[in-house]
Amino acid sequence: MFKYFTRALTQRIFLAFLISIIAHAVVHLAPGEPSEVDPSNPLMKPEDIAQIRMAFHLDEPLYLQYAYWIRDLVNGDLKSFKDSQPVLPKIWERFLNSLPLFFVGTLIVWCLSFPTGIYAAVNRGSKYDRLSTFSSYALISLPSFFLAYVAILWVVNNFGVPVLGMRTFGLEEASGISRFMDRVWHLVLPSFLSAMGGVAVLSRYVRSQMLEVIDQDYVRTARSKGLDEDTVIYKHALRNALLPFITMFGLMLPAMVGGSVIVEQIFAWPGLGRLGYEAILNRDYPVILTLNFIAALLTLFGTFVSDVLYAVADPRIRLQ
Amino acid sequence: MTLKNALLFIPFLVFLGLLQSYLWVPTYEDQTTAGEGRLEKFISAISGDARLLNPIVAADSASGFVVSHVFDSLLEIDENLRLKPHLAKEYKVSCLATIVVGEGFSPESLLQKISPHLTSEASEIRVLEPSILIRLIDPDGLGPLKEQEVKVTRPNRIEFFLDDVDPAFFEKSLKILGTEYGQEVTGISAVSVSGEISEGLISIATDLAPITEIRPVIDFDLRKDVTFHDGEAFDASDVKFTYEAIMDVRNLSPRRSDFEPIESIHIRDSHSVRVIYKRPFAPAIFVWSYMGILPEHLLNSVALNKEMDARGISGTARDGFGVRASKFNRSPIGTGAFKFTDWKTDESISLARNQDYFDGPPEYKELHVRIIPDSVAREVEFKAGAVDTYLADPHQVARYLQDPAYQPFTSLGLGYTYIGYNLRREPFQDVRVRRALGMAINIDEIIDYVLYGEGQRITGPYPIQTDWYNHDVQPEAYDPGKALDLLKEAGFHKNSEGFLEKNGQELRFNLISNNGNPQRKAILTIAQNSWRKLGIRCDTRLLEWAVFLKDYVNTGDFDAVVLGWGLSELDPDLYQIWHSSQTGPQQLNFVGYKNNEVDDLIENLREEYSRTQQVEMARNLHSLIARDQPYTFLYVGRRTQVVDRKIVMVKRSESGAVVDYEKLRPTPTGNLNYFFNRWRKLEAIPDL
Repeated sequence: MFKYFTRALTQRIFLAFLISIIAHAVVHLAPGEPSEVDPSNPLMKPEDIAQIRMAFHLDEPLYLQYAYWIRDLVNGDLKSFKDSQPVLPKIWERFLNSLPLFFVGTLIVWCLSFPTGIYAAVNRGSKYDRLSTFSSYALISLPSFFLAYVAILWVVNNFGVPVLGMRTFGLEEASGISRFMDRVWHLVLPSFLSAMGGVAVLSRYVRSQMLEVIDQDYVRTARSKGLDEDTVIYKHALRNALLPFITMFGLMLPAMVGGSVIVEQIFAWPGLGRLGYEAILNRDYPVILTLNFIAALLTLFGTFVSDVLYAVADPRIRLQ
Repeated sequence: MTLKNALLFIPFLVFLGLLQSYLWVPTYEDQTTAGEGRLEKFISAISGDARLLNPIVAADSASGFVVSHVFDSLLEIDENLRLKPHLAKEYKVSCLATIVVGEGFSPESLLQKISPHLTSEASEIRVLEPSILIRLIDPDGLGPLKEQEVKVTRPNRIEFFLDDVDPAFFEKSLKILGTEYGQEVTGISAVSVSGEISEGLISIATDLAPITEIRPVIDFDLRKDVTFHDGEAFDASDVKFTYEAIMDVRNLSPRRSDFEPIESIHIRDSHSVRVIYKRPFAPAIFVWSYMGILPEHLLNSVALNKEMDARGISGTARDGFGVRASKFNRSPIGTGAFKFTDWKTDESISLARNQDYFDGPPEYKELHVRIIPDSVAREVEFKAGAVDTYLADPHQVARYLQDPAYQPFTSLGLGYTYIGYNLRREPFQDVRVRRALGMAINIDEIIDYVLYGEGQRITGPYPIQTDWYNHDVQPEAYDPGKALDLLKEAGFHKNSEGFLEKNGQELRFNLISNNGNPQRKAILTIAQNSWRKLGIRCDTRLLEWAVFLKDYVNTGDFDAVVLGWGLSELDPDLYQIWHSSQTGPQQLNFVGYKNNEVDDLIENLREEYSRTQQVEMARNLHSLIARDQPYTFLYVGRRTQVVDRKIVMVKRSESGAVVDYEKLRPTPTGNLNYFFNRWRKLEAIPDL
């Protein structure tokens, strides 16, 4: 067991190193320069541009730039090109903003997917099943910005309450509980919209997983023992169907970084996705690279956790 | 079954918990009427967050907006785009003239000889010290650049003040003194340099002894009643410090090139500064009308060292730590009408009224900038009253024009869009071809359909709202028939396939633009189609901005481009875009436009200090460039700012009592925010 963990861990550390090199190369080889080097500004002289490139180490070979990046990242000296502020505190601040959105979004996804998926599987071929299949595909294919616009306009026109941003602007004087509830309200629309795609996909998974299990021999055995249908479905079938979702859970972690760029952009939510998006537009390499690296680490960590959980849940895996 | 019930019950609880929060949120109606503070808050919406709230490093529009309210500049631009004093009480432009005292002259006799050419009295005459110590960087030295101190002895020279700047002053004087005047005392032989130095340095050193020199000087008299928001008094050292901070390479100031013509800044007394320029360059004064003055006491090396200690910065990181890296840029302190209070990254920036503002405090108590990246979201917030103003998209403008609840203000932008032709290549060297290509495109249609009517045609390189623009130049009318005649005149004829050709060579070229700008993309297609109708094959391509510049524009590897320039409304200088010396790689005259007449005018315009002369020269330039048509000048876009109708301008009497309200109005050149400090929001829409 211990050997299994250490192997999984060393593999991932090596992989993280490889990812950082490739990511660094790809980001730097992509055309474009940091927006501080503004080639369309007629007043900027070549000397000044050279000066800026030098300060950002852009004139050095790629491997040296990589070394500078890693060195500064480890020392905590890494600064954004855009505003010269340290990168890690900047990311941490945005992470705290994104966290509630991620948390509530995930809650909605998992809360909704299981009941809808199980019900569709149990009543396969029914009107409900076909309707849920149709709406799942509709939700997957509809772009989330379209739904977001419709939702914003509908809520604002019918209820006349603010929905944009993390809180109602100018409510600083209100009592603590109303400010808290105000922030919860501002979570509702964006988290629903960022959850929509997830619900559509995950409920499909639940349905197919359940269908697979329901046809198994042990389910038939349980039924023939005379157990009531609820016990068969929720105890015998569902528990076995849950196993693959351990992996799903681990893979959701990196979605925190880039999962809701569009929703954050439309709802003026100062989160991680927007930070990354704007960093890319400005070619703010330290921020792009660090976010990218964190996403990679989260993915590796997520798969590690699901491997471990899998091993705990299913003893057969450990033996390999 | 409990699990089954839980699967239904938990989602129900989650939804209930989320949706009940709706009951706690105030509606928009409540917000605007209930909170009495709301009327005293001005809320503006912009799409992107600010980066650095510091005038010397601010480069984006959001930072610029905030900085303009928190900091003041020495001069200001008034309603009619003329300079007027601001932090400086008064300013005076004069010049320092230097001339070598040739053989057979004494300083006095020399001055007497040239004095008939002086339009003003020469003053502060002094004989310059012949020997000076200078620090030079050895250009020949191998290895790292090192500074070297050398003693340079130059011929005797005298220096005196002239009341106005006349770059041609010495040209006239030398006619009297003889063209050979002073030759024997200038050049390499006249300068003796002590110390071991290389050949390269000697030639630099000899440049130190020209026969004559004219260096413009601006003297600023500063206001004595101004304090920074932290209570510290504003004085001359702050001005000098701001200049030094801009020139400090650690700060990577995008304004560095603007301040390059300045030779030195001297503090004459606590509230008087003298700026000396290296050479006559008339537009140089405009930098003082937008550059906010920094507080020296918060950013000098003592303050920065203290900050580094507090933040635990050590080692090599200390060397690169300048104003740019300081925390000051996130909580700036200036002298402006508003004080900075709070910045929530990507959410909002808040400012509060500076009650002690020397120009009188503004009407609004608070000024907030909300960052809302999406344009539909901005419109929703604005219509709901949670935002007082924003810049509407062209397609939104029509909705506001009809709605009585809002005041839309439309002004012309400062940038224009054009089709540029590579004049190094056939067939664009022929002006008839360029004219024909321009005539074949229906520009009015582009404005109507691509810009939703939010644009205006232009004929030359200046913004329409400025004096520089020559209104006598008529735009070329859309006339495909005449275009075809012109092309035939230029030697083209239709071949059997219906395409134009000359000497067996079909007229075919490429037209490129950058990706990500839908208007340029549309123009590409319209131009291609219009030219196709004449029998010209044109291949179009959209490229990523960086690739577009690097591989095509900078290398000159293109036939025609659709691009735009952003301009300044103040400065008539066209050097970088139109002078023939700027046609090299990575320079801005990438179409390769060369015209001696235009070159001379551009150079003279840079050295001309009289406004009437400047206007005449600029208009002349406009008509010359319009005649040559190196570009097909297309249009300048309009921008529409919408404002809540409850916002008015307050008129106060001498004693400070409110006399009357006026409707908001922009300046004649379209600057709506010029009177911002007099704006205020009323409880109901006033009848004005």
